[in-house]
Amino acid sequence: MLNRLHALPRDTRDTLFLLGVIAWVVLPQVPNLPVWCVALAATMLTWRGWLAWQARPLPGRWWLLALLVVTIAATVATHRTVLGRDAGVTLIVVLLALKTLELRARRDAFVIFFLGFFTMLTNFFFSQSLLTAAAMLVALLGLLAAVVNAHMPVGRPPLIRSIRVAGRMALLGAPIMAVLFALFPRLAPLWGIPGDALTGRSGLSASMQVGNIAKLALDETIAMRLRFDGPPPAQSDLYFRGPVLSRFDGREWQPRRDEPWRYGPDSPAAGLRLQGPAVRYEVTLEPSSRPWIFLLEAASQPPQLPGGLVATQTRDLQWMVSRPVTDILRYRGESHPQFAYGPVASDRASQPRLLDELELPSGFNPRTLQLALDIRREAAAAGDNPAAIVRRVLDRLRTGGYTYTLEPGVTGIHSADEFWFDTRAGFCEHIASAFVILMRALDIPARVVTGYQGGQINPVDGYWTIRQSDAHAWAEVWLAGQGWVRVDPTSAVAPGRTGAFERLVAPQGVIGGAIATLSPGLAQQLRATWEAVNNRWNQWVLNYSQSRQLDLLRNIGFESPSWQDLGKVLAGLLALAALVGVVWARWERSRHDPWLRLLARASAQLRKSGLSLPPQCPPREIARRLTPRADAVTPAPAEAVAPIDAQRAAAWATWLDRMDRYRYAPATPHREQLSALEQAFRQLPRLTP
Amino acid sequence: MSDNAPVDPPLAGPRWRPFVPVRQRMQQWFESRLRRTDTLTLTQRNVYILPTRPGFMLALTLAVLLVGSINYQLNLGYLLTFLLAGSAVVGMHVCHNNLRGLVLHMTPPAPAFAGTASPLELRLSSERPGDRPAIGLAVVGSDRWAWVDVPGQGSATVQVAFTPQRRGLQPVPTLTAETRYPLGTFRVWTVWRPASPILVYPRAELRPPPLPPGEARAGGGAASRRQSSGEFDGVRAYQRGDPVKLVVWKKFARSQELVSRDQQASQYHELWLDFTGTGVSDIEARLSRLCAWVLLADRLGQAYGLRLPGREIRPDTGTAHRLRCLEALALC
Repeated sequence: MLNRLHALPRDTRDTLFLLGVIAWVVLPQVPNLPVWCVALAATMLTWRGWLAWQARPLPGRWWLLALLVVTIAATVATHRTVLGRDAGVTLIVVLLALKTLELRARRDAFVIFFLGFFTMLTNFFFSQSLLTAAAMLVALLGLLAAVVNAHMPVGRPPLIRSIRVAGRMALLGAPIMAVLFALFPRLAPLWGIPGDALTGRSGLSASMQVGNIAKLALDETIAMRLRFDGPPPAQSDLYFRGPVLSRFDGREWQPRRDEPWRYGPDSPAAGLRLQGPAVRYEVTLEPSSRPWIFLLEAASQPPQLPGGLVATQTRDLQWMVSRPVTDILRYRGESHPQFAYGPVASDRASQPRLLDELELPSGFNPRTLQLALDIRREAAAAGDNPAAIVRRVLDRLRTGGYTYTLEPGVTGIHSADEFWFDTRAGFCEHIASAFVILMRALDIPARVVTGYQGGQINPVDGYWTIRQSDAHAWAEVWLAGQGWVRVDPTSAVAPGRTGAFERLVAPQGVIGGAIATLSPGLAQQLRATWEAVNNRWNQWVLNYSQSRQLDLLRNIGFESPSWQDLGKVLAGLLALAALVGVVWARWERSRHDPWLRLLARASAQLRKSGLSLPPQCPPREIARRLTPRADAVTPAPAEAVAPIDAQRAAAWATWLDRMDRYRYAPATPHREQLSALEQAFRQLPRLTP
Repeated sequence: MSDNAPVDPPLAGPRWRPFVPVRQRMQQWFESRLRRTDTLTLTQRNVYILPTRPGFMLALTLAVLLVGSINYQLNLGYLLTFLLAGSAVVGMHVCHNNLRGLVLHMTPPAPAFAGTASPLELRLSSERPGDRPAIGLAVVGSDRWAWVDVPGQGSATVQVAFTPQRRGLQPVPTLTAETRYPLGTFRVWTVWRPASPILVYPRAELRPPPLPPGEARAGGGAASRRQSSGEFDGVRAYQRGDPVKLVVWKKFARSQELVSRDQQASQYHELWLDFTGTGVSDIEARLSRLCAWVLLADRLGQAYGLRLPGREIRPDTGTAHRLRCLEALALC
């Protein structure tokens, strides 16, 4: 088999190589493509490979036309359109495979190459990870090598040669890429992003149904990264506030509806009272396709966002942005972990809003309502104020045999009842939901807050990583004299959840499990290193935005850079490169022997005068040809068009003799200077009058 | 100068193309400015570069990739686009370097017959250490490319297809060297007018009539006959029954042709190929027939003389004589 591979005709070998590269380009897409598309493309590539292997003729045009019709029909059936991103990706993959069946002329090969480059781009719709980048780099080299190979028509050059040439071109092209990448102005999308660009990204949602966050708990993807300027706050203070859910319909928690969703940027956060020292940090938020961002609780100033995004704070302290976050977003924040907010007293202005936080749908959770009545009776007997009642309920959670679990089982319609009395186990959202329902039943205004809590520091680069599995739900209760107070009932059930790095661990895969069993430290170390590398990638490549470009310009010395300055720097570099090229070309020319250059100038002038000189004629020979002598062995050819003036020829001969001596005579104390020769050359007369 | 090159096919078409004559005129003017030389060193000055159609396709692809990256805000897409663009820029320089610095040399071409393929032998030498793949050479205007890889610090020989059409001392047609290596997105080429002319003999008539009868020797002929008594001047094709000692074995060894010495013919007649005695009127047709006769007589080993307007070549045999006659025919 291997021998056969080496003995393949060149055409067959080149075709198989190209097919391999195309398969490699398409491979990362496979999970995102419809099954029929993958099957069709694989069949066509295999078919083409078989035809090449057997050296059989390609199928006729009718076959291709039929396949094209089938493809378009199937695309319409799958995506209901042939436009848009997903349909486009499906089509382009099949077209690429189909075009290989029509690989006849050189033009067809070029179409395949260019379709291939475009297919590579479509990979990035689904993933821009380091692995994808590495795979596509290999694909780019493969395609370039195929192009180079197609342009070596002589013989059967080994493929490795083309690959080496392609690699060298890419390597030399890399600086150009780096400069363009750093300086090419990052524009806003030229037209609206199709809606499907945003699908397929998970994260915290705007509402909470019991079970949602438990699903996120299995999701180890990263939600954001954080780096503190100074020492980080305590782990238990790392609350990142997301949607605040006040409305409960018995099944689902949702944000307030009557609330104007956003306030103007100058609207004061509702009675936010900051205390203690500020913590400064930088957040790198993964795209969530949600219109909000996360800051550590509690921040009073909106962060500066790139790309024209504006952050505003709702009255519930959530940070909203003007459009969904579709890209990695980096911003700086300043927060005060110690804070208080909300109306201190239940006055006329805040009363209606507080009453909203007491509403419970009727017909749900009867046993919880009964529990509330019992607690209220006990509290009245003990003379408790609301704060004490909250403590009493937390005590109940702590001591009542409640456990924290990822798999609380199926919940019915009375979810709070089930938590309080039946399962006595739940994930944070069960606990928070049940807690808030009980609070409301106790006439204490309460609501659910979702977001992220905690995180993990990467010892390799000092970044905090907050994953989807760090998604959390907690509660806020309103207490007279204090305002809204954060209560995390989950920490009452499982103190480790918020205080330490402890997480419920979902079952691992075979390999992950094996590594973890062999050496838990190694697994941790590998993961930390990998994440540090990945983070660098995110920081320097994926998150390279206009603000970073402008930072770069600021570092070079621009006062207030704009994107026009980027263009100027780019044009300047281009001019510089051209200048360097000219200087280099001159230098390369000057590397030739200056004596030889002078002689070449002289020969050129003599030739212009009609003297016939062979190339690389030494000065002595030129002189001989200028002055024909009787004793010469071979007569000088009398080819000069015009008669040569004898006197002028003698002047030339003298000069040529000096040239000859300069070069070949042994070194003498009175050695001639080349510049003198050059000067003498300029004073020489023209050979013909 | 390029009259030897076949006529451009587009010219023959019925379509009205107003710019073709203009372009041809431009081309002629451009070529006439080139100095004729047998050894051409390719430098920045005589190497030209323009993007090809695939080059424009690549530019379009890059534009689409860029718009895709902008619209979907894909930083990795930017990276891909710029890396591809960078590679294309490097490819442009590689392409130009592939031809620049090459030395083309033409060995003076051997004489050839009009209408007969006579490849021009060219030598390409390179001083740089790296090789120069995929360099194509052709006569300007023809599509018959000869491709060659020139090794580093070495040379390669290539034969360019060429069929001279007109007799005489003709200039070698303008040649062109081209490369599209490595990406095919740029065409780098040079135009070269070699200096050495090529001597083109008339087109030999394909089926010439038999040789004309010999003429009786002139007065001096008797003396010469006596002087050369015992010499066998004439030959004829072998006939059954010829004595073995009359066969010219030397000739047989050379050309596998049986020829017998013809004492009588040589003694009383000598063969003159006369411009006026060809039986056709057109000058080129006459020369063509004379050419065929010269070749025929030479093949038979027969002595022949050539009589052209203003020139006469005494009867003789041998290669040198044949070449002299052919040259006279070519330059007539």
